This record gives sequence, C-alpha cells and structure tokens, in this order.
Amino acid sequence: MSRTHMSRLLCAILIACLLPVLSEATPLQQASWPNGAKLVVEEDHSAPVAMVQIWLKVGGRDEVPGKTGLAHVFEHMMFKGSKALAPGEYSKRISAMGGNDNAFTSTDFTAYFETVPAAKVKTVIGMEAERFAHLRLDADEFAREIRVIMEERRMRTEDDPNSHMFEELSAAALRLHPYRNPVIGWMQDLQRLRIEDVRDFYHQHYVAANVTVVVVGDVDFASVKKWVGDSFGSMKTHAVPPRFNPEEPEPLGPKDVHVHLPAQLPVVATVIPVPVWQPGRNDREVAALSIATWLLAGGRSALMQQRLVDQQQLAFSVSAGYDPFGMGLDLWYTYGALRHMADAARFRQQVWKLIDELASKPIDARRLQAAKRNIRAGEIFSQDSLYLRAKRIGRMETTGIGAAHYPQWLAALQAVTAKDIQAAVQRWLRPERATTGYLHPEESKR
Amino acid sequence: MSWMIRCQAMLLLLILAAPAQATPIQQATLNNGLRVLLMESHNLPMVAMQLQLPAGSRFDAPGKAGTAAMLAAMLTDHSARHAHDAFSLWLDEQAIQLGAGAGKDTLSLSLTVLREALPQGLDALSEALLQPGWNKKRFAQLQKDAVAAATKSLEEPGYRASLARGKLLYGTHPYASPSAGDANTLAKISVQDIRQLYRQQCRPEGAVLAVSGDITMDTLLPMLNQRWQSWQGKPAVAADHIAKVRPQAVTQQDITMPTTQTLVQFARLGIARHDPDFFPVLVLNHYLGGSGFGSLLMEEVREKRGLVYGVYSYAMPLLATGPLVISLQTRADQAAAAEKLVRQQLDTLARGHVDAQRLKKIKGNLTGGFAQRMDSNRERVGLIGMIGFYHLPLDYLENWTKRVDSVKLADVQRVAKRFMPADEWSVIRVGPGGKKP
Repeated sequence: MSRTHMSRLLCAILIACLLPVLSEATPLQQASWPNGAKLVVEEDHSAPVAMVQIWLKVGGRDEVPGKTGLAHVFEHMMFKGSKALAPGEYSKRISAMGGNDNAFTSTDFTAYFETVPAAKVKTVIGMEAERFAHLRLDADEFAREIRVIMEERRMRTEDDPNSHMFEELSAAALRLHPYRNPVIGWMQDLQRLRIEDVRDFYHQHYVAANVTVVVVGDVDFASVKKWVGDSFGSMKTHAVPPRFNPEEPEPLGPKDVHVHLPAQLPVVATVIPVPVWQPGRNDREVAALSIATWLLAGGRSALMQQRLVDQQQLAFSVSAGYDPFGMGLDLWYTYGALRHMADAARFRQQVWKLIDELASKPIDARRLQAAKRNIRAGEIFSQDSLYLRAKRIGRMETTGIGAAHYPQWLAALQAVTAKDIQAAVQRWLRPERATTGYLHPEESKR
Repeated sequence: MSWMIRCQAMLLLLILAAPAQATPIQQATLNNGLRVLLMESHNLPMVAMQLQLPAGSRFDAPGKAGTAAMLAAMLTDHSARHAHDAFSLWLDEQAIQLGAGAGKDTLSLSLTVLREALPQGLDALSEALLQPGWNKKRFAQLQKDAVAAATKSLEEPGYRASLARGKLLYGTHPYASPSAGDANTLAKISVQDIRQLYRQQCRPEGAVLAVSGDITMDTLLPMLNQRWQSWQGKPAVAADHIAKVRPQAVTQQDITMPTTQTLVQFARLGIARHDPDFFPVLVLNHYLGGSGFGSLLMEEVREKRGLVYGVYSYAMPLLATGPLVISLQTRADQAAAAEKLVRQQLDTLARGHVDAQRLKKIKGNLTGGFAQRMDSNRERVGLIGMIGFYHLPLDYLENWTKRVDSVKLADVQRVAKRFMPADEWSVIRVGPGGKKP
C-alpha cells in the first residue's frame, strides 16, 4: 500500500479518534522482553474472534537509494515459504482455520495480520514467529514474486492517473524525507532488485527488537503473554540502529508540478509538509491542525464541499487529509477533481482563501462543537472494528508515539480552541511552503 | 498482498455468505406494515440501521440508468424542512451518519448514531424518507457532479468492464443498466423521474428495516410507529416481482484504453437468491476465486506463474438470476496467456475435477470465518437487511454453518458442470489492445 493510499484514508483515520473507552474493552495491557520484542493486548470478549497483528519497525524509510520497494517485497515473500511451511502454505492454513490473513507496508512500518477464531490465536502467533525467524527467501520464488509486484505497481500506479500524479507530487515536494519515495518502489528499482538484496535486508531488519505484537479480541492477556514470550520473546538479541528520520529542509517557495497522463478529467492537489504529534511537545498545535482538517473536509458540512463544490462549482469532488501519527512529518494535502483545467487557477485560489479564513477568523462555535462531537462518535464507531483498533495501537507503537498516549491525544482534540486553530493554520498552511500538482488529461498518448 | 482485492472479495462474499453463533434475529411489524428485524448488541453505545426499499436500479427507465441512485442522493441531501446546508450542519452537530445508495434490487437508507442521539437520528432518517424537498437547484447540482464523477470513473478499467458486462449478460432486462448510471444516462434523468420512482416504490409494505445495536424492540417500536404512521401503502410493483432473465449469446468484447495492463473479465449468468443450488454455488465460488489465497485461480495464475497481482471471482445472487464474474489484470502482452489459463481451469472443473482436500479447506474457511463476518453492527445490518428483503428464514444465520458443511463433493461437481464450461462465459478485455504496452 502506498502512502498516497494511506493519506486518502486519512479522514477516516482522523475521524477514528476519541472518547474514553465505553465498551467492554479493557485498558491496554503491555509486556516486553530483553531482546526488544513487545506485546500490546486489548481484551474484548464480545465475540469469539481475535485480530492478531505483527508490527515491524521496518518500512520504506529503511531502504537505501536504488533499492526502493524492498520493504514491501517482504509483504509478498513472507507468504513464500519458511523452514516449516511450503510456499503458499501459510495462507492456506490460516484460511482452513476460518481466518483471513494479509499485510500492509508503509514508509514507517510493515504489518502482518490475521483475523481468526479466538481459539486459534496461539497457533497463529507460533506461525508468525516461525516465518519471521526462518524465512526461506528462495531465488525462484523471488523471481516470480517480483513480477507480481510489478503487476501490482502497474495496477495501482501506472494505470491510475490520480495515484501516478500523487507519486510525482510527493517526490517533488520533499528533498530529504523518505515520504518522497513510493512504498511500492520505483519501477526502475524493482527491475534491478536481486535476491541478495532481499536476504541482506531480512538479516538486518527482521529481528526481535523491531517487533510489536498486537492482539485485540477474545483472549486473556496472561496466555498471550506466555505465547509471545515463548516465540518472539525468546529470539536472539540483535541491536538495531536508530531509524532514518532526517529533518526536512524548510521549503524556499511555492512549487508547481505538471503531470500529463491519459485521463478523463483534471485534478489539482496541494501538499504541505507539517509536523506530526510528539506527545507533550506539540499536542495543542497538532490537535488543532487535525480539527482544522476535519472542518475543511471531514463532515457533511465540510467547508471545502460547501464552498468549492456546492457554491462555486469549481470541483465535483474534494478532500483534505492529515495524518498526525506519521514519523518526522506529514504531507498534509488538499485534493480537487475538476471538470475543466480552466477552473484550476481559481480552484487553487479559493482553497487558499478558505485556509486564510481559518487563519484570520475564529471558527464558528457550532462548527467547532460539531467537529468535536463527530470525532468522539467516530471513536466509538471505530471500536466496532477489531481491525481498526489493533491498527491504531500498532501504528502508535511503531512510529514511536506509544499506544498508551492515546487518551492524551483524545483529550488534546477536545481541548482545541478556535484560537488554536488560527495559530496552527497561520504557522503551517502557507502558500510559500506548498507544492501543487496538476493532472493534465491527455487523450490516448500511448 | 492484495488487500484491496481481498476487500472486494470479502464484500462480494458478504452478499452471498453469512455468519456463526448468531444472536437471534427478532422480528416485528409496524402499524404501517413495515417489517423490522433487530439483532441486539449492547457492548457499544451505538445503533446502526438500514432501510431496504424495493426501489433499486432495476426500476430505472431505459436510457436513464442511475435514477435510483439519484433518488438516493436527493433523499439524504436536503428535505422539505431543511435546506441542504442547514441539514448538513444539523446532522454533523448530532454526529448522525446518514447514507443512501442503490443496488440492483433495492434502494437503501442507512443510519449510524450514538445511542444517546437515536431520537435525533430517527428524526433525520424520517425527514429524509418522508419529507423529501425535491429542490430543483440541488438536483441540477447533484446531477452535474454525478455526471462528472461517472466521467472520471472511465479512467478505471473495472468500471468500463462493468458497463459492458451489464448489456452483454442482460440485453434488455432491467439488470443490464449500471446502478450508478453512466455520464450519458445520468444527464437524461429529471426530477420527475425520481419523484415517480419515489411515489411508486418507496412504500412500507415489502420494505425491511434492519437494526443492530444498543436497543431493544420494546423501545424501538414506539419510536418508529410514532414517526412513520403517515407512511402507508404498497409499492406499484411488488418487491419480489421481477421479469425472468433470458440468457444472451456468448460473446467477446474488446475495449481500448491507454493502459499498460489488460483487464480480462469473464462473465455469465449465475443464480437467483432462491436457487436451490445456492449453497453449492457459494462453495464453488469460494473454491474457484472467492477466497483470496486459498482459491484455485489465485494459486494457478498468481502463485504458480506470477502472471497477476490479483485474480478473483464472485457470485451475486439477486431476486432474478445474478451474474458470475471472474476478473484479473496483467501486463498487456501476458493477457492472452492468463485468459487461456483461466479457461483451462474452468473446463477442468466442469469435467468434475474438484479436489477433495482443497474443498475441505475451503469449507473450513467459510464456516470458521463465520463469526468474524458479522462482528460489527454495520456489517450485521447489511446481512439482516438481505435476510429480510429476500425473505430468508430468520434462523438463516444460525443454520448457515450447517448448510455449508452439508455441501458434498458431488454437489460441487454438479454445479461446476452447470456453470463452469469455459465456452459458456463471455469475455471482456479492457486494455491497449494490439498496440505495444
């Protein structure tokens, strides 16, 4: 999964934030082992199922230049055989026990997950640990799988003009931060990756110190702790160096990127590097940016929808997104799908006018209350999904925020004032810090 | 791995499949004849519901595909009491999630609210349902946006294939038209068209309200009766009345698009919701391509040969005969090889070669995965609504696992013979065609 995909889900993630836990879910229970492996459990006995997720502090940012896509290769190779299991056997076993398994990769992490009947959690943790420690990495399997990955890239990027444009936009917006590279890798790199690269990466990064096991569902903590202790917790200790997390140089002025691709209708999107949450250091500012983003694009009454789609009819679909749980920075974005490229300049101008209004005038109290109540409700609705609950825990752990800080985040969101929103928008959402991408539709170029 | 593909497969499966240790479904009828089905779930302070009305895209007039979808959009956009902006802000202030959409058979209105906001949520749903605004300016705006969105969708090979597939499988049958409409048909719809659909089909008799969440029937019924007493009558066309589907000639269609991959889609008529072979077909589809990495096509086309990122199949049983679909995308110069491989697999199945071991695992996946398919309120209302609309027995969920278990190898072989022969499938290819990728 590319970061672009992830950031489009941002509103959903953002809305999926809030309120003290009212369900039967118990508070988080945690354990860790001397080799660095960690466990976080949230018990919920409302249905006889559990979500098991293995989170790794390994992602696109850990690749060296020329080897982009390598972290994501594992999302495929982990299903291609280990010492105990033949290629493809892993998923078949999960499937036969009535489970579903899958994985996702981002710049910041890789995660493998299964939804299974609660009685199978022990087996699944054992299987996860076995393939993690004894991955086969067969050269023939890799040769086949890298072709599958190229097909994945063709489907997701080459043949999808919007996502192709976002790839260019991210690459143009950042100089140093690894969010500039696509998680799936540049095609030119994919064509040159060798099995030796994969093996080196495996030995360096697939070590216990990078593992956080997250289990949400019908389990009891003491048992899970024992199972993880016997598996991930008992692996050899390998020291891991700090992860690549450079300070992005401050933008020196606005940038425009023009992308010409076969497409039906134009798109204008703007990205701006903004800070992510560092608990205790920028709570107020980052929570204010989150609420500002919700006001622009979150609800039915979203300002962008009302102004740009309904009133001015400059676009037929708009969005904005911010992910406060990234590492180092986030590329905050706005997006507009337009009917005519001739509307692009005006659309862009009107987006900035809306942002300026957020910066210069206090937001209407009703709107601010609506945003906070929706965020609270969204938190309860998101507890309806084991997947989202486990994912939130895993992300916060892996990016260094810490899942235990979650209540602090919810409190910060509820504490945001109209003034906070003005201050955060004034400081970060500025035209001279922005990169704007234009998708120019071309008829059948190929 | 194919997260997206699997999501798709899961969603489609839900239409067909259903879940294991189910809490019983309670049933009641409102004073106006509306059926209400409820599954209580008190672990979260929220309520989700879905109203299924017999007003799906099958009622769209010829050349006006998207009428039901436009009606759905209009009902939740504003009301006679609230203009669009005021309605939107009011819903946001109460954190009321109100949605609507159109499928082939039904138009559905959905509501998700915190328990504390249920009265307000029901007010909003009632206003959308019973006090439509029919504002002409808003209609023109929504129509213009829908036309643009449909045009943008032409960038997706899957959308182009789905447009072609309807005509190819259904000819002049109402299922031929795409539920969302296309840029041409959406532009031809008038407010009169959607008002007529509303007047004729949006009636309580034959409709179903499915509810899941922190509420009891005793509390819910008075709230509904009080709000919906003025809503009366039966639809012009009964909910379960539909023309039979006549098979069309098998054909092949090539659609040119400037992509690097070619999308190859196989399609044929499958089964209706009440087909006696429903469970064998469910298992066969899961075996063929409906269960992600456990399925035959994923193993043959992706795992063994690396030809695709995703390949999947689904069956969509409807009131009348629904489609069976197989879809894959691969670099254009590999498309012919992938297509040939799928044909071989289909013919092998049709000849009765069903592997008993794989079948056992596939059934294990279906039955074992039952509980997780209904572990959220919003998933449950979709299932309960389907049970209600298609008049499936209320113990359907409780017996589902047994029904899957009871499907024998011979049953799967029988339906494979009926549905798998490769020369009975039409094929749609979307890609650069003869040109180099």
